[in-house]
Amino acid sequence: MTRKSIDVEHLARIEGHGDIHLEIQDGTVTRCEFSVTEAARLFESMVRGRPFQDVPYIASRVCGICSASHTLTDILAIEDIFGVTVTERTRAIRELLVYGSFLQNHATHLFVFAAPDFLGHKSVFPLEEADPATFQNALALKGLGNELCTKIGGRSIHPITAVVGGFTSEVSSDEYLRLADQLEQMIDFALASVDLFDGFGATDIQTEGDMLAMVEEGAYPVIGSDQALFVRSGIRFAAHDYQDHIEEYAVGHSAAYLARERSQNRPYMACALSRVNASWDNLTEPARFAAAKAGLRPPELNPFANNVAQAVEVVDALVRCAAVCRKLATNGYEGSSEPVAFQVRAGKGVGFTEAPRGALFHELELDESGHVITANIITPTSQNIANVEADMRLLAQKLADEGAAADTIRLEVEKLVRAYDPCLSCSVH
Amino acid sequence: MADTPRVVFAGLASCFGCQINITNIEEHLMDVLGQVDLKYWQLTSSDPMPTDFDVAVIEGAVTTEAAKESVQALREGADAVITIGACAATSGIPGMSTEDHAADMDAVYGDKVPYVVADGAITPMAVKDVISVDFEVPCCPIDPYDFVEVLQHALYGSNIYRRSSTLCGECKNNERGCFYGRNTLCLGLVTRSGCGARCPNLGRPCNGCAGLSPDANVAQARRVADRAGVGAAALDSALRIFNQPIADEEVS
Repeated sequence: MTRKSIDVEHLARIEGHGDIHLEIQDGTVTRCEFSVTEAARLFESMVRGRPFQDVPYIASRVCGICSASHTLTDILAIEDIFGVTVTERTRAIRELLVYGSFLQNHATHLFVFAAPDFLGHKSVFPLEEADPATFQNALALKGLGNELCTKIGGRSIHPITAVVGGFTSEVSSDEYLRLADQLEQMIDFALASVDLFDGFGATDIQTEGDMLAMVEEGAYPVIGSDQALFVRSGIRFAAHDYQDHIEEYAVGHSAAYLARERSQNRPYMACALSRVNASWDNLTEPARFAAAKAGLRPPELNPFANNVAQAVEVVDALVRCAAVCRKLATNGYEGSSEPVAFQVRAGKGVGFTEAPRGALFHELELDESGHVITANIITPTSQNIANVEADMRLLAQKLADEGAAADTIRLEVEKLVRAYDPCLSCSVH
Repeated sequence: MADTPRVVFAGLASCFGCQINITNIEEHLMDVLGQVDLKYWQLTSSDPMPTDFDVAVIEGAVTTEAAKESVQALREGADAVITIGACAATSGIPGMSTEDHAADMDAVYGDKVPYVVADGAITPMAVKDVISVDFEVPCCPIDPYDFVEVLQHALYGSNIYRRSSTLCGECKNNERGCFYGRNTLCLGLVTRSGCGARCPNLGRPCNGCAGLSPDANVAQARRVADRAGVGAAALDSALRIFNQPIADEEVS
């Protein structure tokens, strides 16, 4: 009997703390765990009893990378309870804030976390010598995401200006135009990045899980739609009914809850690849062409393709945001972004957005004075973990069947986990 | 210290945002990192944690026995310890769950607490309550330029002390008016200055992320809050976001 154990303690170049445990006995994968060991900070209990104004500010701290998404999703849940309708201008600026965090997140994930695997480096820093132009451009792309978040939110993470009803501050038209120029100048590098990540290639595995994404007729939505779609099974639901379709469950080896589609007990992916599969037709033209050139078309079921999907979304975000900035500069959106008036009332509400890493749900229940009774947060990574484990098993089995050495299996499995762009502080929260 | 100071980064219970924010000063990142020999940074590299180093940078609150041991080991190995952010400084946001940590745990996990959570969980603590800390970069999140400045102090020495005044004075210089005239609670009255009153400048009241100023007169701030109609209880509750409860005898 032969037995191989592969253990990675504290997987590097992901956000947060997680371990990988694999056991292969006589050529069969017998144990396969992605153990999330991140500290539990207990957000859902710490916000109970707090006034609603504090809650988006606290929820932002779930995650340092997608703080804008947590802030806005929480605001949407509160607005859902109070029945607040915001102006067209506020909606546009919120979209910019979400996309700013897409640019930050995708640039960080692609170049700082993922690329070193494919280039044989341990970190992004050797790239400075190996390919200075790509290194500088990658930092500039990430910098542009920070710039967008800073201009809209007041700083690069944990936005200050976004509140229930609108924004407390806005930059000038000149600033929007400058942003538009910067965004457009970055498109060429973003297109080259799609080719770069496509060129890295990927081991051929096909996930058996489903894919979840926000959808809206004729759009590639990231905020503003309340419709979600399980792409493979065709199950469509309103965000309000998320509990009817998404089952959260605890396992001993993960501090994060896991999730599965309820009717079929099926794990699923919630990520850039899910969105591209759900709304490929509605990508902006340069992004769609870049995707087609890279061979990324629905249905794309190889989880490694999430890297290319993120690169495609960078192109898409740059094109969209430049247009939104120009329209904001010329007052092309109705209304002002000043917070609209609202009445505090009791109730339950759900916020739903596409965070950089996938679908994000926040549910809040408030009392008549606007204090939190209960809260529930389902992050993209907690939805992905079950599918990460299923795909790890597929991949490790395939490599074991091919007689791969333990080191090869270890590296490929690490690459797979990174391709999901897990955020473990998000997942545990 | 060796010729090039050897630096390690460690992340405890936090959102990782302070470390992220350090990577967010792209144009200066390589200059900053060029001064040090970066020995361990899990966020950016798969190199393992070494045992020999000069400076330890710690983000996050201590919430497990393992984290407690790891900061003790960092203290043993380092000439200088720098904490970054509110979680490390005051236990910050994780510290909101200190009054009844077990009940909070129960509310989130019920009877299904995963063993990776249950094993060695402790009530959240600030890093300075576990080990002595040499330098502190305040706020949630840190301003990365503050980190650069503090790192200089740790590397080259400095006899400059942090300002102890409250944010209010700093904010008045910006001439943006006061929230208390608008029936809105603001913690600038008691929070340590140094951030330039970034939030009030953008129309948001101070949430106290820099921690209590040593000069803070909390008792008087409560009276101000009462007089302004927002209420001392609201002030106390808001203070709990980034600060541990203040005992009554300390403010009377």
